Amino acid sequence: MRTWAILLGGMIVWTVHFFALYIIGSIFLSTLLARWLVAGVTLFCIAADVRLLFWIRARRDHLFDGWAASVGLILAGLSLVAVVWQALPILL
Amino acid sequence: MTSETGFDPELYKRFPTSGPRPRGELEELERVWRRPTGWRIITVVNNNYIGTFYVAASFLFFLLAGILALVMRVQLAAPLADILPQETYNQFFTMHGTIMMFLFAVPAVEALGIMLLPQMLSARDLPFPRLSAFAFWAYLVGGLAFFCSLFVGLAPNGGWFMYPPLTSIAYSPGINTDFWLLGIGFIEISAIAGAIEIVVGVLRTRAPGMTLDKMPIFAWAMLVFGVMIIIAFPAVILGTLLLELERAFNWPFFDPTRGGDPVLWQHLFWFFGHPEVYIIFLPAAGLVSMMVATVAKTELVGYRLVVLALLSTGFISFGVWAHHMFATGMPKISAGFFSAASMAVSVPAGIQVFSWIATLAVGKVKMTTPALFLIGTLIIFTMGGLTGVMVAMVPFDWQVHDTYFIVAHLHYVLIGGMVFPMFAAFYYWTPMMSARPLSEKLGKWVFGLMFTGMHVTFLPMHLTGFMGMPRRVYTYLPDRGWEVTNLISTVGAFILASGILLFCIDLMRNFRFAATGNAGNTYGGGTLEWLPTELYSTRSIPYVKSRQPLWDDPNLSKDVEEGRYFLPNSATGNRETIITSPLRAEPQYLQIMPGPSIWPVLAAVFTAGLFLLLTVQAYSASLVSGVLAILCVLRWLWETDRPVKEPSVDIGAGINVPTYVTGTSTHGWWAMVVLMIVIGMIFLMAVFSYLYLYGRSTELWIDPPAFTWLAGIVALNGAGGAFAVWSRAALRRGNGRKRVAIWLIILSSLLVTIPVVMDYQSWQAAGLRAEMSGQGATVNAIVALQACLAFIGLLMAAFVAARGARGYIAVPKSNIIDLPAIFLVFTAALGMLGAAIVRLFPGAL
Repeated sequence: MRTWAILLGGMIVWTVHFFALYIIGSIFLSTLLARWLVAGVTLFCIAADVRLLFWIRARRDHLFDGWAASVGLILAGLSLVAVVWQALPILL
Repeated sequence: MTSETGFDPELYKRFPTSGPRPRGELEELERVWRRPTGWRIITVVNNNYIGTFYVAASFLFFLLAGILALVMRVQLAAPLADILPQETYNQFFTMHGTIMMFLFAVPAVEALGIMLLPQMLSARDLPFPRLSAFAFWAYLVGGLAFFCSLFVGLAPNGGWFMYPPLTSIAYSPGINTDFWLLGIGFIEISAIAGAIEIVVGVLRTRAPGMTLDKMPIFAWAMLVFGVMIIIAFPAVILGTLLLELERAFNWPFFDPTRGGDPVLWQHLFWFFGHPEVYIIFLPAAGLVSMMVATVAKTELVGYRLVVLALLSTGFISFGVWAHHMFATGMPKISAGFFSAASMAVSVPAGIQVFSWIATLAVGKVKMTTPALFLIGTLIIFTMGGLTGVMVAMVPFDWQVHDTYFIVAHLHYVLIGGMVFPMFAAFYYWTPMMSARPLSEKLGKWVFGLMFTGMHVTFLPMHLTGFMGMPRRVYTYLPDRGWEVTNLISTVGAFILASGILLFCIDLMRNFRFAATGNAGNTYGGGTLEWLPTELYSTRSIPYVKSRQPLWDDPNLSKDVEEGRYFLPNSATGNRETIITSPLRAEPQYLQIMPGPSIWPVLAAVFTAGLFLLLTVQAYSASLVSGVLAILCVLRWLWETDRPVKEPSVDIGAGINVPTYVTGTSTHGWWAMVVLMIVIGMIFLMAVFSYLYLYGRSTELWIDPPAFTWLAGIVALNGAGGAFAVWSRAALRRGNGRKRVAIWLIILSSLLVTIPVVMDYQSWQAAGLRAEMSGQGATVNAIVALQACLAFIGLLMAAFVAARGARGYIAVPKSNIIDLPAIFLVFTAALGMLGAAIVRLFPGAL
């Protein structure tokens, strides 16, 4: 399971962010509170992605599968971009 | 090198073995894996046969849907044409879309998976060959019956996405809509069966040494495809069930006058419907990645990035469903991030396209027919992708919504992303299944006609859409400026069709099905499916050291054919394959596989009967058919999971593995987990529907029953789950406790059934009726789902009791106890969760 978590960690963060935004948008519509909640969730997910990036990077040589670690790193980076990209239309 | 399972990687150095192989082992392999003859051929389960049947059937549906499209194009060639009456036209476009999406695109890629994956992974077969056979026969019988509804004027007519209120009983009183709802729901079950087979197959039956980074891209694509089906298809299964319940029993899920909402259908449908596009595209992209390496005679550029693209597409595709609903008036905040996600999904698609271009650029491309179709794919798919980014922008989408621009866009994406790769694959892999390859000369003509016809048909449609022509109109008035572009599109459709006709002629001239003695590696591929194969797949299962083993080891084919790798014989005298670990593909145990059987075929026929008879409202006959289907499934399972007399066997070079295992490493456990994810997704979507309707209007909602009911339901389900866990522990204590284990399973199944009755009764007592409100409908739907699970639990318990009575339960560990126990624990957990959610929201608020 650990290798799958490393491989898909970034995408899982992105999924959490996306569905959190969906729930916030559905319940709080286009209110100011919704924007603040989106900002909070986005910061949390950015932090999770950054943490994941550092975590994998620090352990990539000791991890079970170096190839999975490198894919995991790129996906975590991509997730970071996706989270920011996705939140921008709401925050701007 | 580290190990995943404790297997010593040094053992791989024993391969290839040397010295002569024992006499007679090849003959025994042939005997064990031979196909049935005569009429019994329908009982065949070998993947070469089932895969080929499956591909042929899906191609037949492609042709049928194509003919419908041609007739529609004739109708639209000129204004006020009178070829098709309005009602028939409605049925034609509905059937065209439905067949192309549900009966061609998804089954075709699933079929290719069943046909190619065992050879590509060098397994003897996929882990559940009878499940593959069931999936195929269910699809064929159900699909043909569904298509035949056209001939009696009962075909669905509400568009391929069947939006209510148009499809509600008030506006579609006939059974046309029911044909779609029950037919598609049934065909989706077949697709899920195939997906379970593929996911478990890719993760557990790879050749030893084929670690994740050496897996063929097609296997990666099929893995993502399978997982996406498992997550996405439950939404449409639930949606079709809810709409059918509304139509049949007046449960108002989608009726806004009673607390329902038609937009709920759109959410459920598109949560499946948009990933569906990638479900179709990703396997086709996997095929392209495989072929592009061969035609360029070089490794795929950016293998790692392509895997990354497949994984990220799989995820992001679930975040774009609402871009089909921009015109429904969704909150701006939601439209914003759905738009962003829709644009983001073009990034991984772009990665793959650039990888293919780079591979073609660095390699030496020979312009064979597959190469031409691959280049056609690049051009057409990129054009479709660009218009996709355009419609991801909300203001643009509002302008072109429901116009011919969308028709053009979706055909560019689907033809470029699926049909052209499919035709490339037909030319590329036919030599693996046929004594003769297809004609290169005719193939180039086929490509030329299809490529030209495709553009002539669909490029002008962008303009037709810009000029305002709506979709799904059976005719139009003169002087709207639509005549010329429509005429050009019709001419293009016939050019496209002539290319496909020529392909059929090529097939008839050259395709000669040959599971043995095929034409071989015509295009020089480097992956394992090009090893010499017979009905038993490869003679021995190689140790894989690279992504293109045939290019990197010129002696591999010879050594494999001489039986110098794993499993060069039938170690137990049965059909068998090696189950390997999911990450590093280390040998774990030998799976004994079932052989040909009539039961999956009969189960499929009776299951189709259940749904079709239900559609025509022959309820008694439908019930009989359903009971027969269940009996057939139980009979088919009766022969499975029987330990053989050898507890462990040599699978080559003195490496011994067990022949019977239980627990989390078994392929059965993996399949059960996947099945539970499917059911869990149906449950999740039902809860989503409940909460969605709660968010819409609570005017007709009533208070939940007293919380003492909930306490009782939780307690009984908890006890049921605990008994199931206890049954496993009891069996582990030996033969003397076998009976106790069986009784505990029976008791557990009863304990998870009683709360369903309590749940229903408590809501009835509280005054909730299914037909009175959205709350009533969704609560009853959740209870009904739980009742279905409890019924399956009872069936499992009866099966366990019957197997126990005949002594067919292994001691001290048995999958026959383990798997029902897991299912019962899962059922108990869902029972508690479902009952709690519908009471706490809004009860506790």
